[in-house]
Amino acid sequence: MANLNIDSVKDRTFDAIVIGSGMSGGWAAKEFTDKGLKTLVLERGRDVKHLKDYPTTNLYPWEFPHHGVIPDAVQKANPIVNRCYAFGEDAAHFFVKDAEHPYVQEKPFDWIRGYQTGGKSLLWARQTQRWSDFDFEGPARDGFAVDWPIRYADIAPWYSYVEKFAGISGNRDGIAELPDGEFLPAFPLNAVETYFSNHVKKTYKNRHVISARCAHLSKPNQIHLDQGRGQCQERTLCQRGCPFGGYFSANSSTIPWALRSGHCTLRPHSVVESIIYDDKKGRATGVRVIDANTKEAIEYYADVIFVNAAALNSNLILLNSKSNRFPDGLGNDSGTLGKYVAFHNYSAHINADYDGAKEWTTDGRNPAGGGYIPRFRNVYKQETNFLRGYAAGFSAYRSGQRSSDGIGQQLKDNLVKKDLGGWQVGSHMMGETIPKKESYVALDKSLKDPWGIPQLRISVDYDDNDAKMKQDYIEQMTEMFTSAGFTNIKVSSDHRAPGLDIHEMGGVRMGKDPKTSMLDKWHRLHACKNVYVTDGASMTSTSCQNPSLTYMAFTARAVDHYLSEKKKG
Amino acid sequence: MNLNINRRAAIRNMALILGSAAVLPSCLNDKGKPVVQLKKLKIDAAQETLVNNLTETILPKTDTPGAAELGINLFVFKMIDDCYGQEAQQDFITGLGDFADAAKKALGKSFNDGSAKERAAFVATVDQNSMNDKYKDDTKLTAFYKMVKDQTVFGYTTSKYFMTKQVVYELVPGRYNAYFPVKKTAAV
Repeated sequence: MANLNIDSVKDRTFDAIVIGSGMSGGWAAKEFTDKGLKTLVLERGRDVKHLKDYPTTNLYPWEFPHHGVIPDAVQKANPIVNRCYAFGEDAAHFFVKDAEHPYVQEKPFDWIRGYQTGGKSLLWARQTQRWSDFDFEGPARDGFAVDWPIRYADIAPWYSYVEKFAGISGNRDGIAELPDGEFLPAFPLNAVETYFSNHVKKTYKNRHVISARCAHLSKPNQIHLDQGRGQCQERTLCQRGCPFGGYFSANSSTIPWALRSGHCTLRPHSVVESIIYDDKKGRATGVRVIDANTKEAIEYYADVIFVNAAALNSNLILLNSKSNRFPDGLGNDSGTLGKYVAFHNYSAHINADYDGAKEWTTDGRNPAGGGYIPRFRNVYKQETNFLRGYAAGFSAYRSGQRSSDGIGQQLKDNLVKKDLGGWQVGSHMMGETIPKKESYVALDKSLKDPWGIPQLRISVDYDDNDAKMKQDYIEQMTEMFTSAGFTNIKVSSDHRAPGLDIHEMGGVRMGKDPKTSMLDKWHRLHACKNVYVTDGASMTSTSCQNPSLTYMAFTARAVDHYLSEKKKG
Repeated sequence: MNLNINRRAAIRNMALILGSAAVLPSCLNDKGKPVVQLKKLKIDAAQETLVNNLTETILPKTDTPGAAELGINLFVFKMIDDCYGQEAQQDFITGLGDFADAAKKALGKSFNDGSAKERAAFVATVDQNSMNDKYKDDTKLTAFYKMVKDQTVFGYTTSKYFMTKQVVYELVPGRYNAYFPVKKTAAV
């Protein structure tokens, strides 16, 4: 019996444990196993294998029971996830349903989650932009949050490193505030997107409309073929999982890569309850897992633990990891754990018509989605009555209208006659929000989730800065649209709750000072150096870029740091 | 219809003769149950036939297939049964009755008893009204009609027939041409 126990402990002991198999966890798994470390990847959801577990990927619209529409009963049972743009009949099986993992909304917060191998990397919008020092220096310059302990120079080589492997399409635009990367050919702007890009360049000194940079293999290199991935086929059905591996997901890329190494154990249905801290050893020794099916508690051990559970769940795990040394959550000497949570403000859109370029249309589909307008407000100096700024999407399309007038033969004739119509243009804002102490997540004192873990209380809201910034986006974009000759300009401002942007960040922020931050410049907990947090939870500020690429680079850099420290002994 | 009544009466008589009325199949109750399997909508066979006839009137078989041949009528039922809220479903039921009443008034017989031509004439008016923002409908007729037409059009334009024979839906385009001359679109 004693021997058996020893064997059992041995079986449950690894060199490294990675909590989460998504965007950043997949990278940790790949980097550790590339270096031969015996690595356990814990995934709280089910296993989703590339190709094999994409049941809808090759279905035609008529093959879905409701041709793509989510049934009313499912919508009513899932008011939160139903608000997500990608929650359709083709991808609903990759989203967490509202009742599956309850949480407390002190203020409205749409927490969109994907519990499966690959997490939300299966479902993301695949937009990838680097940060620059205009972003990393933001908090210090503008006096909010705390200073980032890193600068662009620290992360730039790691951006290159992950970009080469993931495959990022884009142009080298030479814009200081949005550094160029290792790019595959960009998906080009169409006639009206190009027209607007030229107009903006002519009219404004520091505003740009560029091809959106995205994680699609426009022209795969050998490293992508080695992953078993192929060229993007412009299906734009990415949320179903891609049979070509045309876009980057942990499922198509990092996770199978790690598994092929022979050093990786992937354990699905493993909900991490807490990280085990050994008061005597003064470090974390492992994690306690609740098996999602049997509800049995199991412990796993390792020298190093990477927390990549997605921003709010990474907070939840640390908050729930209590010990004599850390009664308020692991590494929480500063009292900042769970605080300074922020997100991106996506709550304004603008649409218009363009009566020109009638001789052009497009053919096929653009996986990049069109154009991207990097932040132009308050970049070089403070120039508005609000802090920071926003990026924006911009796209032009001739969707064509089908008339469904009439009945009988007339209706049939109308339905096949697709009138190309004029061009329409659209833009949406992606605003930086300011992390604040009063924007926090915490454990509920009594409510538990189905795995016996305290429910997360979420209290995050917009503020006055967000309102002013939104107003400015509307004004500036209206002006840019008007001067470009766009007509019938329609502004829409919605009241979406934070979270629907699916860019929640912070709570375990990086910083120089252990008294005011959780993580050091290597993403280690200041007070527990063998625990790293490299997902969205680690963000000190949010800037306005889509964040996933930065998490990937953070993760690869942090693993490299761990390995080099380990080498030193 | 008459045939149905006669058939039903004959079976009932036969059942009485056999003294086993209790085992009459439920489909032979007064109005008859619909053939289509529905979870929430409660309709009878005549109402089902009306909706079937309406979808066929909106989308008749011509030299190309119509609603019945493509199963659009079944799709309409499925969508309204699964994808509409309780309130809309109530409007559907109420409006179905309103539609039947109005048709009877206009045609002098039930919609189902009308000829294809008579049905088309009646539905053309309903369709015109449904497109007219100023048209005031004190009943749920227009609401009902819009639901059926919307789902008929949606089901048709997303059907295999339409997406392979009338337009070409590409699951795998394999290309993005950002500049494509409009002149060439006629060929697609």
